[in-house]
Amino acid sequence: MTTQSIETIGEVGIKQNKFNLLVWISERGVFVFTALLILFGVFFVNGFASVINITDVFYRAAPIGIVAVGMTFVVISANYLDLSVVAQVATAAVILIGVSNDYGLPLAFAVALFVAVLYGVVNGVAVGVFKANAVIVTLSTTFIGLGILRWLSGGSIFFGPEDGPVRAFGQAKIGSVPLSAIVLILVTAILWFVLTRTNFGFVVRSFGSNKEATRLSGVNTPLVVIGAFVITAISAMLAGFVLAAFSNTAVSTMSDGYDFQALAAIIIGGTSVFGGKGSVLRTLLGVIFVSVLTNILVLSSIGFGLQQMAIGALIVVAVSVDALARKVTKK
Amino acid sequence: MTDTQPMRLGKETVGVVNKLKIGIARRTEGRGVALLIIVIILVAIMEPTTFTAYSVTLGRIALIGLVALGLTAVILMGELDLSVASTLAVAGVIMASAPNIWLGTLAALVAGILIGTINAFFVVYVGINSFIATLGMLFALRGLAFVLSDAKPVRIADIEAGIAFGTALLGPITPRVLIFIVTFIALQIFLSKVRAGREFYAVGGNRQAAFDAGIPVRRRIFTGFMISGFVAALAGVINTLERTAADPTAGSSVLLASFAAAIIGGVVLTGGRGSILGTLIGAFSLGILQVALTFSGVQVDIQDIFIGSILLIAVISDPTQLRVAVTSIRFWFQRREKSQAQT
Amino acid sequence: MTIDNSPPALEANGIVKRFGGALAVDDVSILVAPGEIHAVVGENGAGKSTLMRVLAGILIPDEGIVSVNGVPLTGGAKSALDAGIALVHQELSLIPEMTVAENILLGSTPTSFGFIRAAELRATAAAALDEIGVSVDLDESISRLSVSLRQFVEIARAVARKPRVLILDEPTATLTPAETDYLLAMLQRLAAKGMAVIYISHRIPEVFRICKVVTILRDGQVVDVTRIEDTTPGAVIENMVGKELKQDLDSRRDATPGEVVLSARGIRAHNVNGVDLDVRSGEIVGLGGLVGAGRTELVRAIIGADARTGGSALITVDGAPRYITSYQVAVRSGIGYVPEERRTDGLALSMTVADNIALPNRRELSVFGVQLRKKTTAFVTALATAVALKPPQIERNVGEYSGGNQQKVAIAKWLGRKPQFIVLDEPTRGVDVGAKAEIHRLVRELADTGAAVLVVSSDLPELLELSDVIHVIRDGRIMGTLSGAEADEKSVMSLASGEKMVGA
Repeated sequence: MTTQSIETIGEVGIKQNKFNLLVWISERGVFVFTALLILFGVFFVNGFASVINITDVFYRAAPIGIVAVGMTFVVISANYLDLSVVAQVATAAVILIGVSNDYGLPLAFAVALFVAVLYGVVNGVAVGVFKANAVIVTLSTTFIGLGILRWLSGGSIFFGPEDGPVRAFGQAKIGSVPLSAIVLILVTAILWFVLTRTNFGFVVRSFGSNKEATRLSGVNTPLVVIGAFVITAISAMLAGFVLAAFSNTAVSTMSDGYDFQALAAIIIGGTSVFGGKGSVLRTLLGVIFVSVLTNILVLSSIGFGLQQMAIGALIVVAVSVDALARKVTKK
Repeated sequence: MTDTQPMRLGKETVGVVNKLKIGIARRTEGRGVALLIIVIILVAIMEPTTFTAYSVTLGRIALIGLVALGLTAVILMGELDLSVASTLAVAGVIMASAPNIWLGTLAALVAGILIGTINAFFVVYVGINSFIATLGMLFALRGLAFVLSDAKPVRIADIEAGIAFGTALLGPITPRVLIFIVTFIALQIFLSKVRAGREFYAVGGNRQAAFDAGIPVRRRIFTGFMISGFVAALAGVINTLERTAADPTAGSSVLLASFAAAIIGGVVLTGGRGSILGTLIGAFSLGILQVALTFSGVQVDIQDIFIGSILLIAVISDPTQLRVAVTSIRFWFQRREKSQAQT
Repeated sequence: MTIDNSPPALEANGIVKRFGGALAVDDVSILVAPGEIHAVVGENGAGKSTLMRVLAGILIPDEGIVSVNGVPLTGGAKSALDAGIALVHQELSLIPEMTVAENILLGSTPTSFGFIRAAELRATAAAALDEIGVSVDLDESISRLSVSLRQFVEIARAVARKPRVLILDEPTATLTPAETDYLLAMLQRLAAKGMAVIYISHRIPEVFRICKVVTILRDGQVVDVTRIEDTTPGAVIENMVGKELKQDLDSRRDATPGEVVLSARGIRAHNVNGVDLDVRSGEIVGLGGLVGAGRTELVRAIIGADARTGGSALITVDGAPRYITSYQVAVRSGIGYVPEERRTDGLALSMTVADNIALPNRRELSVFGVQLRKKTTAFVTALATAVALKPPQIERNVGEYSGGNQQKVAIAKWLGRKPQFIVLDEPTRGVDVGAKAEIHRLVRELADTGAAVLVVSSDLPELLELSDVIHVIRDGRIMGTLSGAEADEKSVMSLASGEKMVGA
């Protein structure tokens, strides 16, 4: 464009933002919608407001939430998403139970961590150094990862011993709150700190907001991308642990659908797929929204297909609201 | 001013050989051809039955390649259509639910075009990145396939017709292979001889310039998504007919294979570069490889690893990206040497 | 020749175009006869490109009328095109993976039933290439042509539409001297056939070679229209820069340059062809030249922001020399870089002032990677005050501030690092007058505290006012070096436009 930056000449001082419904929804909507959804559940859905049901929501929300909170880093860094979390979660779960059955827990942790970092680095190098499209890269690492997992595990289901530490972890509760929910809260707290209070989180946000300006401020930008993918991978590993502990079993198909449920939570929470804008706390809220919604749909005996349709449509609608809101604020 | 014989700038290529050279240098299929040659040599040594059982191999190529052909139209414009996998499943279920196969086919194809239109709407008018828009559609449509089918395989009304469809017409040419060939020829003509198709390259190569030149960019994007939706639906119909039943879970590995075929064939994700022929070559490489692996008794899981790795390597070895990466790495080494020499 | 009696090929009356509140083109009228080559000249930012975009219908003027052969245009690029105005853009607008022939007829491809009539396509394209006398293989794709051949294809594309008026915006910027000669001869041939040509250029010698009439623009206004035989290159340049008094000498600093801080040798990169450059402590070095001369590419290559193809840059901080082997090394060694495009490269507009300023200083504002919030706030507030950010609300997004304030933030982010060497590319473009003075004050203060400063500016008075030494760049080389005292607008423009060379 040869228009240079003439458009700013006449303006002195600060532009005022007018109220706009779309902007408001994209920034505050999730709070209101989550509250409304919970109220709806309490008053109109049989069996929603029971301790058993709420505990169940927590159990199911925990692994998805951990994945989503981690993947928020990739989304904020303006690299769309990490589809390979599906493979990462299942791999960690199978390693936790499969390896610990034969070789003990410490080795299982070590192997799982190594695999997680490997995932993060491969995805991060392909996207950050080679500037390849993140969707395609992580689509291929999903297939590679699941292929290796099924090949090595023979596609079989692994069962942990009934009296093992994994089982104990999965059963543990503090009060009526399952330990897995506490892990989710811990992970969220840690990643919230990393994203908002550390230099790494700072450059992730800055990179997502403007890649070139961040590079020209002296930041090693490929490392930022690799770091974001590694954080996602380690979160996915923890999610795999929690998921395996919950049922004391592990199988390569156990995390199907985690990619889009996590993405839905992130986007509905208000983290922008255009990068730069977002927070892990919002993602946590998005996780609550998606989990409660799924729970209500299940309680209302609405089938798996309609649940998927609803969540897919929610993603499209939430991104549309964000995209339209951005058009408004740009003007 | 007196006008003498004007001096001329530049020079025209003369001679058939030189013209041929230019023709070859312009091609984008190099990587695909290289992979195809490697695959053919390896397979010829390790598992030659793949070529004698060419009807199986051709069938597999058609299975992998059909969706990729439609996808190529979208990728050429710098957009992406991830929803094809679910479109295939939805179209199959619609087809199988219909009282007769002709009505079913028609309804399924219309649904494919409709899905393409919805995708394009989000991309063109709402302004969402096509990755995310079609990803959302991928999930939503997968759900729709489950809803329509009640999460169970749906048998088609006229089993006889399905069985008839699966039989070969002539030699190895089954109706599936025939449809694949026809789709290839149609898209090849569309993208090279039809103005609207050629302008896909302009939309993908330099969208602003295309717009300035008066090309209806939005209409072209709609056309592209409709083509990819239509072809995906066509693939769904064929699958359903051959199996005499629709599988609502169909299609997830189609996504990987079709992207791999197109990208290996030289279609660049940022748009403007690539060809239908390249996608065909990519589909041939992958199809032959898959059949050879199957014949050698390699599990499906390991085949996934192979194809996933090929896609990963293809997407990071995109010529333009590779050049950037190689230059920066080489530059880095040069500077290292220099600064060490100085100290 | 009867051109004086025929109706004008193009007539524009009282054209006014504003961007925001700024007048880019102010009451400009222009009259071009058929067969006439009409030059439009002016400094960077005089409004030439804007005027051409108005004439070509890409921009709609706020006031005034453009008419072709006496018929007023109804507005829009399409109507201008139909009326016979063809613009050859400054930036290339060809499709890289399509063939030469397809590009020449892009948007007007001949078809029957949607199918391309290939024979006709090739014939028409061949005819257009023939008309401008360029031989290119019709089936070659644009991506495989040299930049200058692409420029000619672009011209062929305009000529293929058989325009009455052909507008060329800086067509020779990327051409070699031989190619330039060729282009000029070609334009004369086209004009001899009755085509009106509007030729925009900074390069005065070219104007005098082929043009009949020259219109001189300054600050969006026509300052002179004259037949070429009635003027001289010197007079044209004088009119372009205006006869303003040489700036106040009091504002000039007493520069006592110290040691060499930055020493660049044999720098080569895209559009940079071997440049040696020294910048001393306490010295402000200006880089003058025309848009596209390679100044931005040069400074980016020196500091490693873009890859070099040759040469080295040595930065000396506290007596310790260090080669700039990457941009990150440069930043760590104490350089600061305020890029030309602050909105896309200089600042993250959707982040706060505090974040933008803290970004390059994050290591100093943290312990083990954890940010120190109080320290950061104090640090940022001090800098916002130092650059006189108005209002100094550091938690506001930078994008909400005006251009001048944004630029202050773009500078402030480096000030905290006490840069030994700072590069400012177009430091006051799109900045209001008050902020401009403040930015100039900041730049001088930086030099006074011992920093080596390199300024790229297309704003001549600014360059003259700030610089202790001015290097004038053309075609990626230093064409001449002028001390602050001897430099004036005319001498810089002469060097920049290639009118003369001073011992390079």
